[in-house]
Amino acid sequence: MAWLKEFTKGFIKENPVFVMALGLCPTLAVSSSVINAIGMGLAATFVLVFSNMFISLIKNLIPSKIRIPAYIVVIASFVTIVDMVMHAYLPAIHKSLGLFIPLIVVNCIILGRAEAFASKNNVFLSILDGLGMGLGFTLALVVIGSIREILGAGQFLGMNVLPATYKPMLVAILAPGAFIVMGLLMSLMNLTKKK
Amino acid sequence: MKYYLKLGFVLLIITVIASGILAYINTITQPIIERNQQIAQENARKEVLPAAISFEEVTGDPTYFIGIDSDDNIVGYTFVASLYGYSSNVETMVGINPEMVIEKIKIISQSETPGLGANCEKPEFQAQFSGKQKSDMKVNKDGGAIVSLTGATITTRTITNSIKTALNKLDIPIENTAEEVE
Amino acid sequence: MEFAGKILFMAVMAIFVQNFVLMRFLGLCPYIGVSKKLDSALGMGMAVIFVMTMASTFTWLIQTYLLVPLHIEFLQTIAFILTIASLVQLVEMVIQKTAPALYKSLGVFLPLITTNCAVLGVAILNIQSEYNFIFAILNGLFAGIGFTLVLVLMAGIRERLDRAELPASMKGMPIAMIVAGCMALAFLGFSGLKF
Repeated sequence: MAWLKEFTKGFIKENPVFVMALGLCPTLAVSSSVINAIGMGLAATFVLVFSNMFISLIKNLIPSKIRIPAYIVVIASFVTIVDMVMHAYLPAIHKSLGLFIPLIVVNCIILGRAEAFASKNNVFLSILDGLGMGLGFTLALVVIGSIREILGAGQFLGMNVLPATYKPMLVAILAPGAFIVMGLLMSLMNLTKKK
Repeated sequence: MKYYLKLGFVLLIITVIASGILAYINTITQPIIERNQQIAQENARKEVLPAAISFEEVTGDPTYFIGIDSDDNIVGYTFVASLYGYSSNVETMVGINPEMVIEKIKIISQSETPGLGANCEKPEFQAQFSGKQKSDMKVNKDGGAIVSLTGATITTRTITNSIKTALNKLDIPIENTAEEVE
Repeated sequence: MEFAGKILFMAVMAIFVQNFVLMRFLGLCPYIGVSKKLDSALGMGMAVIFVMTMASTFTWLIQTYLLVPLHIEFLQTIAFILTIASLVQLVEMVIQKTAPALYKSLGVFLPLITTNCAVLGVAILNIQSEYNFIFAILNGLFAGIGFTLVLVLMAGIRERLDRAELPASMKGMPIAMIVAGCMALAFLGFSGLKF
């Protein structure tokens, strides 16, 4: 059952955001609402799965001296594909994610997985690893996004979930809230790991 | 040396293949993106000038559209006012009647701060522009008639100024077209 | 006079009001990763200022004289990331040859900069904001200064935090995040600046 482990490790045990603290920029920037979090998570998952698959396929063809630039080209191509497809079919989410779609290229998770996993493992495991890590990333984004949206706007996925008497804590949607929520969640992860 | 040439060659091949694939996908998505934008513009035009049933484009600085109703009368004009705000370009579709009084505005593009500047998309904010003229285009903090968004004076000022600038530029061209039609 | 005013406005916007790290969430990985020691933070900051200014210059030229005339704007992401990667590599080689002392202090940080999303971020933002050549370069410079400012401030705080008594689960990353949140809160105050 080794393949199952490669898939699920990204969810909690090696969660790229909470445990490895990778890809912080998009995590904090787009988690001001749940819908943005899902959009970003899935876009990054797509790139992760395909770049992992592709890099695993061509790993023996690339001389090791130029592997990093080669990986970057592969990743940048898939990012551009996601960018164009989202622009065409999901214009609203594309607009609110804005700058952070092209910036998936420099998301450390993706290059990190390419270098640490896909360049050493076979295609099947690499796809699973990409999918697991991508979903772990999405999960982290959605958790942070939910907390921030509920506290900061009293809404979940745009629907009011808190009574009208609740006065939204605007700061949770703004930049400082992102850092503080993230810090508290990381500390919570540390606590649970100890036990 | 030969080794380095080979490295460069491998990298070149990868880049060329990648560019080729992207170029192909671009030919598929580009028309859809353009059509989406056109539809969005068309809908926004109808929203800010509901009396018009068809629009006639007049290119210039800025490009504007003449709104025409079913009896071929000019019921107003629409144009896009755009200026860089706090963290993004804010684009506003504006509909005005032939007397240059604003019918309605609609923010069509912005990525301002969520919870502050992004509140400019709220209908309550946009509604206050209806019935205002060029001389009213000033934020209340600067002694004008437009009530600023809480914590987002820059965004409010951007929208107000962009409309004012566009109205200033349009003043003469619109008078000309009105005369030509008569 | 108007020109000088514009530049001053841009500097205040890029360094304080729209600070790349605290408000735009760009370059968080080095912000958290390289802010444990004051002198390494300063070294990283200098390297980033340099690379961001250079990257702004070259990506603007590539966009204006290569991508736009050839109508291949969709290759922007690939072109920019490759430009930045080669630039970093070039800078590294040049510094190593000409200024060994400088290389000693900056060298270790240079490879890290390729995946610093602040660099790619400023390049794309320059194009999106339709800056002219001079303003694009200045924007890169000011954004780099803003990055260095908060990086150095953060390093100063964290050097002291080491000696503070903290709950075990808050040590390291979590408290760094919360401190960043407090800094972001302070920087939010700059958005009230009136011009």
